[in-house]
Amino acid sequence: MDVDIPEEQTAQSSTHHVRKHNIIPVDDQHPFDLDGYISNYSGRTAVDRLIHIISTCPTLAPDAFQLAVQHIHQSRDPSLYQQVMSAYEAGSALSETPLPSAMELSQIDTRWADETMAKNQAERSKLEVELKTYSNNMIKESIRMGHRDLGSFYRSVSEYATALKHYAKSREFCTTSQHVLEMCLSVLELLIEQRNFSHLPTYVFKADAALDAASAAAANAKEADGTAPAPAPTLLNKRKAVSEDRERVQSKLDFATALSSLANGSYQKAAYTFLKLGPAKDFGDWMGKLVAPGDIAIYGVLCALATLPRSALKSQILENSTFGVYVEQEPYVRELVEAYLSSNFKTVLELLNRYSSRHALDVYLAPHVNALTNMIRNWAVVLYFQPFASIRLDRMSGAFGWSVEEVEEQVVTLIQAGSIQGRVDSQNKILYAKQTDHRAELFARAIKAAKDIQATNRKVLLRMRLQQADLTIKAPKGYNSSIVDLLHE
Amino acid sequence: MAPDSSLSLDRILQEITTTSNLGNLNHTLKTGLPKESRETILSSALVSGQDPLSVLDLRQNTLGVLYILSARLLATNAPVAPQIVIGFCQSFLPEQARMAPDRVTLLARGIIRLAQQHNNMTWAIAPLYNLLTRYPPDPSYLTAFHHLFLQACLTANSPAAALPILNHPIANVSTAVSDLTYNDNLMYHYLGGVVLALLKRWPEAEEYFEICVTAPGAVPAALQFEALKKLRLVQLISRGEVSPLPRYAHSTLSRLLKNSIYTDFINAYPQNIQRLHALLDKEKQTFSSDKNLGLLMQAVERAPRWTLKKLTATYVTLGLGDIARVVGGMQTEDEVRALILSMIETGDISAQISASGTVTFSDPPPQFTKDEVDSVLYSAQAQSAQLELLELEVARSKDFISKAIKNQDSGWSAHPDEEMYNMSNAWAEEAMFS
Repeated sequence: MDVDIPEEQTAQSSTHHVRKHNIIPVDDQHPFDLDGYISNYSGRTAVDRLIHIISTCPTLAPDAFQLAVQHIHQSRDPSLYQQVMSAYEAGSALSETPLPSAMELSQIDTRWADETMAKNQAERSKLEVELKTYSNNMIKESIRMGHRDLGSFYRSVSEYATALKHYAKSREFCTTSQHVLEMCLSVLELLIEQRNFSHLPTYVFKADAALDAASAAAANAKEADGTAPAPAPTLLNKRKAVSEDRERVQSKLDFATALSSLANGSYQKAAYTFLKLGPAKDFGDWMGKLVAPGDIAIYGVLCALATLPRSALKSQILENSTFGVYVEQEPYVRELVEAYLSSNFKTVLELLNRYSSRHALDVYLAPHVNALTNMIRNWAVVLYFQPFASIRLDRMSGAFGWSVEEVEEQVVTLIQAGSIQGRVDSQNKILYAKQTDHRAELFARAIKAAKDIQATNRKVLLRMRLQQADLTIKAPKGYNSSIVDLLHE
Repeated sequence: MAPDSSLSLDRILQEITTTSNLGNLNHTLKTGLPKESRETILSSALVSGQDPLSVLDLRQNTLGVLYILSARLLATNAPVAPQIVIGFCQSFLPEQARMAPDRVTLLARGIIRLAQQHNNMTWAIAPLYNLLTRYPPDPSYLTAFHHLFLQACLTANSPAAALPILNHPIANVSTAVSDLTYNDNLMYHYLGGVVLALLKRWPEAEEYFEICVTAPGAVPAALQFEALKKLRLVQLISRGEVSPLPRYAHSTLSRLLKNSIYTDFINAYPQNIQRLHALLDKEKQTFSSDKNLGLLMQAVERAPRWTLKKLTATYVTLGLGDIARVVGGMQTEDEVRALILSMIETGDISAQISASGTVTFSDPPPQFTKDEVDSVLYSAQAQSAQLELLELEVARSKDFISKAIKNQDSGWSAHPDEEMYNMSNAWAEEAMFS
């Protein structure tokens, strides 16, 4: 369980830098309901999301700032205030019209801050003393709990590296796989909160193993129970409870996997994982603390539209009752899918554009919005052209709501990337599907293959003869092989 | 002149003219003379002052003449009439000459030397050509003087003279036919590639360079690296892109190339014309010391063709102005028009230019005549017959059989995968018997 702590810290600080690039517009064309959005979240993630909004969207920054300060007052981490402040300054630097100064908007309650600091300090000493006592007494279970509590404490005051260290330490004192599972889930929660996605799969894997072991142990325990004269109905109930428990954990793990796939840019994998997530109640406190149901709908649908074929879209989204519940949270997502399936690409693109702010203001989705939108657009163009042998570009421009030049540019890129088998008549603005004479092509390929194979055979045979005659290149006398090794490097 | 009569040239001459046992004669000539003085004796004149070569029959006494001629050509003070060399190369008996392959190589070197002395390399081409066509059992055998011939052709500035030889790809290598070293193979194929590139026969040049680059060896040779550079450039010229080396090529070579400026050039090719020119200017020194400047210039010159060819896959029609814009390095529509016309002529693309300056690309499906298909089929059959023959040959070769038997022996016990299985089997059998 080695964790590279310094690296994480730099990674975290670098994400803070990357996020302040372009301004996200929020206006009538790009609606965004800040209060509605943030009410889905609680605790730390709400502040994180607000910070993201503040630093990318000057229009919303003042409101978001006030909200963030409110949320901070509910937390126990005054240092967050510093982050919000710097994000706000960065946000107002981006804005053309000067924003009201942060001091006017909202004041941090210094008394509250001091009190919280003192309370935190007291709690830390208390927990550390406890852990020391446990360690002296060598009670494994208590040591584990001591580490766990310290981990949670450090997490709540956003000292992630230390938190991770304590969680990792607690692994050594786990006695049952249930404990390992608990540890893994805490770490996953921490990593997701910290947006450190590269480590997620490791812990998902560990948690999976622990989960298997735990449910196997539970099953065994029940069998042992079975010998005791326990009434049958309770036994059945218990078994059911175990599998439910398992599913709940599984949903969390799937979510972590999906998020890490999304972060890696493997959108197809992410799409499949998002679409098979369990119902929202499985997530327990993760819902709201880390993610909202609407987010899952958006992530899943965008990834799916970008990578999955139509049939999969239909069966996995529209006919999937579990995912349907998520989709209900964001009605426009359903519109998006339906427009896409009925090949109404203009609507698809308009919807994507309309909600681009909603997407770009999401912490997890923001880095991928452009890539996903491009992929969806390319897919749409490919799908649109599929049934045609030739089509006028102005008709395409009508269907997509682009200018003819834009269409031509798009189509040419797609042809050069090999996504569309076609050619453009640049003078008359017509796109033709490529027509191949398969018979002639077959002949050409067969003859080319014959020639290639013959040439290769000849060369390989000559090589063989050279080797038989031992005419291989040898190092000259006195040639130092270490020099060769040096050259290799 | 050596006092011992048995070692004098007269004595040897007598043996050459009288003996009927060529094997013995070769042995005497090779080992019967003291090592230090052998070449001196062989290159001396007769006691009577006569030229031994005038006494001997160039055809019947091939072996003797070969020894004397090769010794005289390389000696410092024994001139040879060029006619005798030409006459010998035309009329020698290959069977006799094959008994002393090392002397044939010496002879070839001597011919080059003679030509150098007379400052007339063109003269050397004819005798070497005769030697090359008459000496090996068939043209597919490599000899140690193949590359000397190519060198002569190149120095004489008549690369076309090498074509009859280069048209026969080397397929056989036998150290019994010629005293070969690995360098002979490398040199021949490298020079062959150079000659063919000079003649702008790109596909063939590519093949020769590739053979040189992929020659087997534990370490890469410097010549192979040079060949690889040229191979890449030839590929750029003839196809506009590079293709990966076969897997059996030495991995160090591609790594070496990756670290050289050639990789920059290949990556910028063909779209980035400015970068190509900048590279050429900046690294002119390196390129010209590598002797690749000519190839690079040709590659750069042809770069617009490949860009244009890519356009035909994307567009059906395009204005000349648009093409000039996309291709780059072209100023006027006339230049583009000329380029397109030349590409249509060479068959690289098929297109029509209308009076209004619109180019219409088309790709007519490839056509094949029955004869073409037949000839491909015939050659495929011939090849498979040849491979079958080879397989039989390998199957009855001593090496293969001894290895196959060894493997069979060990196959019973030592195969780690099967060991457990066999053991359990054995136990089961034992149990059955007991």
